[in-house]
Amino acid sequence: MAASEHIVGRGIGNKLILFSVILVAIMWMLPIAWTLLLSFKPNSELMISTASAFHPPYTIKNYTDIFQSSGVFRWLWNSAVVSIGVTVGILVLSSLAGYGFARAEFKGRDIIFVLVLLGLAVPEQAVIIARHQMFSDLKMHNTYPAIILPGLSSAFGVFLMTQYFKAIPKDIDEAAMLDNASRFKIFWKVLLPLTIPAQATLGIFSFLGAWNDYLWPLISATKPEMFTITVGMASTQTNFAQSEGLGFLMAQAIFAGLPVFIVYLFFQKYIVRAVAGAAIN
Amino acid sequence: MQVSSIELDSVSKRFGSVEVISELSLTIHSGEFIAFLGPSGCGKSTLLRMIAGLESVDGGEIRIGGERVDRLPPGARGVAMVFQHYALYPHMTVFDNLAFGLRNIGTAEDEIARRIEEAARILEISHLLKRKPGQLSGGQRQRVAIGRALVKDPKAYLFDEPLSNLDAALRVRTRVELARLHQQTRATTIFVTHDQVEAMTLASRIVVMNARKVEQVGTPMEIYGRPATEFVARFVGSPAMNFLPVQVNDRGGLASAVLGDGSIIDTHVPVAALPGGDLRVGVRAEAIRVRPDGALPGKVEVVERLGDRTHLHIRLMDGSTLVAEDTGISQVQPGDAVRLAVEGATAHLFDAGGLAYHARQ
Ligand SMILES: Nc1ncnc2c1ncn2[C@@H]1O[C@H](COP(=O)(O)OP(=O)(O)OP(=O)(O)O)[C@@H](O)[C@H]1O
Ligand SMILES: [Mg+2]
Repeated sequence: MAASEHIVGRGIGNKLILFSVILVAIMWMLPIAWTLLLSFKPNSELMISTASAFHPPYTIKNYTDIFQSSGVFRWLWNSAVVSIGVTVGILVLSSLAGYGFARAEFKGRDIIFVLVLLGLAVPEQAVIIARHQMFSDLKMHNTYPAIILPGLSSAFGVFLMTQYFKAIPKDIDEAAMLDNASRFKIFWKVLLPLTIPAQATLGIFSFLGAWNDYLWPLISATKPEMFTITVGMASTQTNFAQSEGLGFLMAQAIFAGLPVFIVYLFFQKYIVRAVAGAAIN
Repeated sequence: MQVSSIELDSVSKRFGSVEVISELSLTIHSGEFIAFLGPSGCGKSTLLRMIAGLESVDGGEIRIGGERVDRLPPGARGVAMVFQHYALYPHMTVFDNLAFGLRNIGTAEDEIARRIEEAARILEISHLLKRKPGQLSGGQRQRVAIGRALVKDPKAYLFDEPLSNLDAALRVRTRVELARLHQQTRATTIFVTHDQVEAMTLASRIVVMNARKVEQVGTPMEIYGRPATEFVARFVGSPAMNFLPVQVNDRGGLASAVLGDGSIIDTHVPVAALPGGDLRVGVRAEAIRVRPDGALPGKVEVVERLGDRTHLHIRLMDGSTLVAEDTGISQVQPGDAVRLAVEGATAHLFDAGGLAYHARQ
C-alpha cells in the first residue's frame, strides 16, 4: 500500500523500475501460461507440433485422466498430512528452540547454536543414504513418520526464531515477570504472539518446501499408497511422456501446483512481507 | 492502599568479577519519594533491578515492609516498575496491558475494570484503552506504563529513567504530573535518573551514587547546600561548583581562605574541624558576583547568556579559572577586567580526599 504509492508517486525513474519489474514478471509468468495452455490440448496434436497450442481444439481430458489414476486423491491426502505435519512440527520445535537460545542461559549454548547453524550448510543429499539406512533399521519406511521426521530438523527455522526472539526487548519479559506471569505464560502469552510474522514466514516456506519435496519421499515411500503427490505424479509418467503425453504432463504439473497456489492466495500478504523482510534485513 | 518501607542492608552485586554495588545500606521510608542520582554506569539501574527482583543479590538483605524479599521472584515482591522504554506488551490493547498483571493474580474482572477505569481517569488515558501501544505517542505510552503500575496498587513504585525518552517540554509536564501523582497516592517511590533537575524537583530525598557506592543521602537542599564530597558538589548544580586551591588562616575560629593571588575568602567553616594537608575552597557560581569593590581581580573569557542570568567564565591572576554569575542584563563583555566579590558564608572547604567541610548550621 505504501509501496505502491511510492512507485506511482515518483517520476520517470520509478516508471522505468515499474516497467522492468513488469517485464521480469511476464518472463516468470510465460512458462506457467505455456504449461497451462498445453495442459488443455489433446496429446495427439501436441505430438505433431506444440504450435497447435494457439488454436482449438481444447480439451479437459488431461485433467480427467489425472483422476483415472486411482491413487491421486490418496497422494494428495498424503502430501497434505506430510506438509501439515512438517509445518506444525517445524513451528513448534523452532519456536521452543529459538526461545531457548534467545532467553535461557545454559552451558554450551553458543556452541550448540553454532552446530545448529552448521546444519544449514549440510545438503540433504550428503546424508540421505545414512538416513535411508537408519529408517530401514527402524523398519519405518512407508510410514508418515518416516517421511515427516527428517523434515522437522529445520536449521533455518531455529535460526530465524532465535533471531526473532532475540529482537524482542528483554524489558518485555521483565515487565511480565513483575506482572506475576510464569515463565511458560511469558512464552505463550507475551512472546509467542509477537513472533506471529516470523511464524507465518516460516510456516509458509516450510509448507511449500514439504509439498514440493521429492527426493526423500521418493526414496522412503516405495508403496504407491504412501506416495506423496509429487512422487505419485512422477510414477504415472511413461518413458515417452515428453513426446506422447505432453498435455497430460502439463496438466499434472498444474494439478500438483494447485494447492501451493491456493496457499499463496491466502497468505500472499505474509509471503510478500516475508520475502521483503528477508531482503531488507 | 499498602505503602511500605524498603530497607537495603549491605547489599552487593557483581557481574562476573566486576563489583557494581558494594555493601550498600539504605533505608527508604514508607511513602517517601526517593531519587537515585548518579552518572551513567554507576549502578543505579542495577540497584533498582535488585529491589525489583530482576537482578540477583550477591550479598546482604533487602526488606520491603519489614519482610525479607531478596530471594522472592519479582512478582511476589509487590512492587511495580516503570521501564525506560515503557516495555508495554505490543500485541495487547492498553486495557489488556493494564489488566495482564491483575488477571495473573486472579483479580475478578469487575474489580479489574474498576481499577483500570480509575487509573485511566487519573492519567487521562480513558479514550486510549482500546488502542494498541503502537498507536500511541511516546507520552501516551509513558502514561500507560505508569497506569500499569498504578492499577496494581503496589507497595512501592520503581521508575528507571522514565522521562528520558520524552522531549523537553513533555518531560517537564510529566515531571509535574509525577509529583502530583505522588502527592495523591503517597506511595513509596524510587526514581532513577541521571538528571539532577529531575532528582531535585521530585525527590524528598536524593541518593547520590558514584561507582558502586553511595556518596550522600539527603534532601535536595542538603545535597545542594552541604554536599558531602567533592563528587556530589561537582555533580549537582549547574554550572559545577568552582574549586580553587587555598591556604587557610584562623580568623576567630573560622577558616579564612587565601587564594593563589593573595586575595581572601572569609568562609564560615570552623578551623578546628579541618585536617592538615592541601585544601581547596568550593564556591558556587551564584556566590561569586561582579562588584567594583570586589576583592578578587580577573579577566572575562567567555560570556554565557541564559536570559534570566549570565555565566561568566573568568581567568584569575594565578591562571586558575572559575565561573561567576551575573544578572541577565549583564553588560560584561569577553576580555573585560572585572573584580569579583565572593560570598564566604556559602563557601565550603574540601580536603585532598574530596571530603567536604561546611559552615556550622
Ligand atoms: N548484565 C550485566 N552484565 C555485566 N555488566 C553489567 C550488566 N548490567 C550492568 N552492568 C554493568 O554494571 C554497571 C552499572 O550498570 P547500571 O545499568 O546499573 O548503570 P546505571 O547507573 O543505570 O547507568 P545509566 O545511567 O547509563 O543507565 C555498568 O558498568 C554496567 O556496564
Ligand atoms: Mg540505568
